[in-house]
Amino acid sequence: MLAQSNGLTLDALRDKAKVIRRHVVEMITAAKSGHPGGSLSAADILTALYFGGVLRHDPANPLDPNRDRFILSKGHAVPVLYATLAEAGYIPVDQLTTLRQLGSTLQGHPSKADLPIMEASTGSLGQGLSVGVGMALAAKMDMADYRVYVMIGDGEAEEGQIWEAAMYAGAAKVDQLVAILDYNKCQLDGTIEEILNWEPVAEKWAAFGWHIIEINGHDMAEILRALEEARQITGKPVCIIAHTVKGEGVSFMACNNEWHGKAPTADECAKALAELA
Amino acid sequence: MLTDTPLHELEMRVVYGNTLCALAAQHPNIYVLEADLSKASGTNPVFCCSYPDRFINVGVCEANMIGVAAGLAVEGKIPFCASFTPFATRRVYDQITISVAYAKANVKIVGTAPGITAGPNGGTHMCLQDLAIMRVMPHMVVLSPADAYELRACLHWMAEYEGPVYLQLLRGQLPPIFDPSYGFAPGRAQHLRSGGDVTLVSTGYMTSFARQAAEELAAEGIAVDLWHHPSIKPLDGESLAQSARRTGRVVTVENQSVLGGLGGAVCEFLAEQCPAYVSRLGVPDRFGEVATEEYLFNKHGFGVMHIKEACRTMMRRAQCRL
Ligand SMILES: Cc1ncc(C[n+]2csc(CCOP(=O)(O)OP(=O)(O)O)c2C)c(N)n1
Repeated sequence: MLAQSNGLTLDALRDKAKVIRRHVVEMITAAKSGHPGGSLSAADILTALYFGGVLRHDPANPLDPNRDRFILSKGHAVPVLYATLAEAGYIPVDQLTTLRQLGSTLQGHPSKADLPIMEASTGSLGQGLSVGVGMALAAKMDMADYRVYVMIGDGEAEEGQIWEAAMYAGAAKVDQLVAILDYNKCQLDGTIEEILNWEPVAEKWAAFGWHIIEINGHDMAEILRALEEARQITGKPVCIIAHTVKGEGVSFMACNNEWHGKAPTADECAKALAELA
Repeated sequence: MLTDTPLHELEMRVVYGNTLCALAAQHPNIYVLEADLSKASGTNPVFCCSYPDRFINVGVCEANMIGVAAGLAVEGKIPFCASFTPFATRRVYDQITISVAYAKANVKIVGTAPGITAGPNGGTHMCLQDLAIMRVMPHMVVLSPADAYELRACLHWMAEYEGPVYLQLLRGQLPPIFDPSYGFAPGRAQHLRSGGDVTLVSTGYMTSFARQAAEELAAEGIAVDLWHHPSIKPLDGESLAQSARRTGRVVTVENQSVLGGLGGAVCEFLAEQCPAYVSRLGVPDRFGEVATEEYLFNKHGFGVMHIKEACRTMMRRAQCRL
């Protein structure tokens, strides 16, 4: 029977997040294209999910029907997912730099047909939460107790389909479903505030029937506490609003939206890796 | 902003942004709509800085962008909406169908980075069906210009034409094919080379490759009748039929799936009007992937070398004149 494993210590988790960030920078540098900003903002949350004893999963049996599901709906941040899965033992670490290479299973956005451990094919923004709702409904139908976690971007949350999914999950009281909003304040053309300011966002999700937890998405202890609280909630879906920094961990990428979708040069990569040592 | 640089030395997206600025100066009703990809489309910074009040970035909300454009159009504005090809078409297919085409709303839709030019982003972004799905929509005009001069001419025509139009916009710089005086008319193909052996039909990005193939085949003694169709719909059936009647052999090439796009349109027309042998080059019935253009040309067989081979193979067939 698949069981939750014990998580790493907080210090070990922080170290793990650093390793994952290093992979992200190296992968995107090698690929010469990709999205560092939104990958780095999500690194601590993914680390907590996979190494903090949160997700029930087993790299030796990756498609175990009882595994918890994680969908990266903001599919362009997939380097951070590949890196996390590699550290967890699902993908050989030395395969990471095949990101975006010819014939690689590590496509530029998650492709379930190429890499079945991806829970959904994403990258066309706004679709992952609905798929997660479907999986959470299926869990109920099958009387399974797995949980479904879906990470969405703050720019992505402008897509109407996100709100259709949110409305349905709230109305249908779909529990076992946790949406994690990577609220890094930036989208592609600029900041959320400039382009489409959808604040107050917590109130919106709450009004749709979701239990809201608001955290600093880079504070490992807070992330773990939020994920633990989410596990205790029944009768409604949970939305964790994680305040993050786009490009977190690399000083020259942090809060600089030029790094939304740009690959570092070899020099920039070396500089970033030095900061992440 | 509008420098003396020859148009063909600019990226196509820059030509898009600059031309919309020039058109906006003449047409007070032109508006630009974007869905968080304005830099990729080329309207940012040039258009949004020149006409901030006529630039609307709706956020990552393509469906809303199309609906808002339909509303603006009904009120007499001329909205130009852009996004990556998949998100400008298949993502919002029903909104375009009902709010725009069915209502005959005067909305201009622009899909950027078409077909295999979406390379590094892979399958999600590599839309190979937009010509096909937009072509089967009533009231819709479907265009795929081959160079900067033709793009500019298409945009000028779109601003004057009253009705929905879809245009494929290449992002980078393209080799020049036409001269600065080029004037666009819908449903009119461009005759780029005369020959009596094989009719070669291309559109958009593939036309410069088709032209090279035709030149190289001439050296081998194969005379290609080369037609570029900037307008997939309406299709210039007349010139197609004239050429096919002479050669009896037709090769089509497009930066799309071979199903339903230019090749499909040509086959539909010829099957009913003047049957001829047809060979369709493009991507077969499958999804895109992360890859270079060269790799995909070779994998699916629609680069210069493959166009030449398809023409040679055609030459080994008897002419088909039914
Ligand atoms: C449907 C769709 N529209 C547009 C895009 C292009 N795009 C890729 S990332 C992005 C911005 C996303 O912003 P956000 O979700 O905040 O991501 P983050 O800042 O975390 O990287 C856009 C518009 C897309 N991938 N899918």
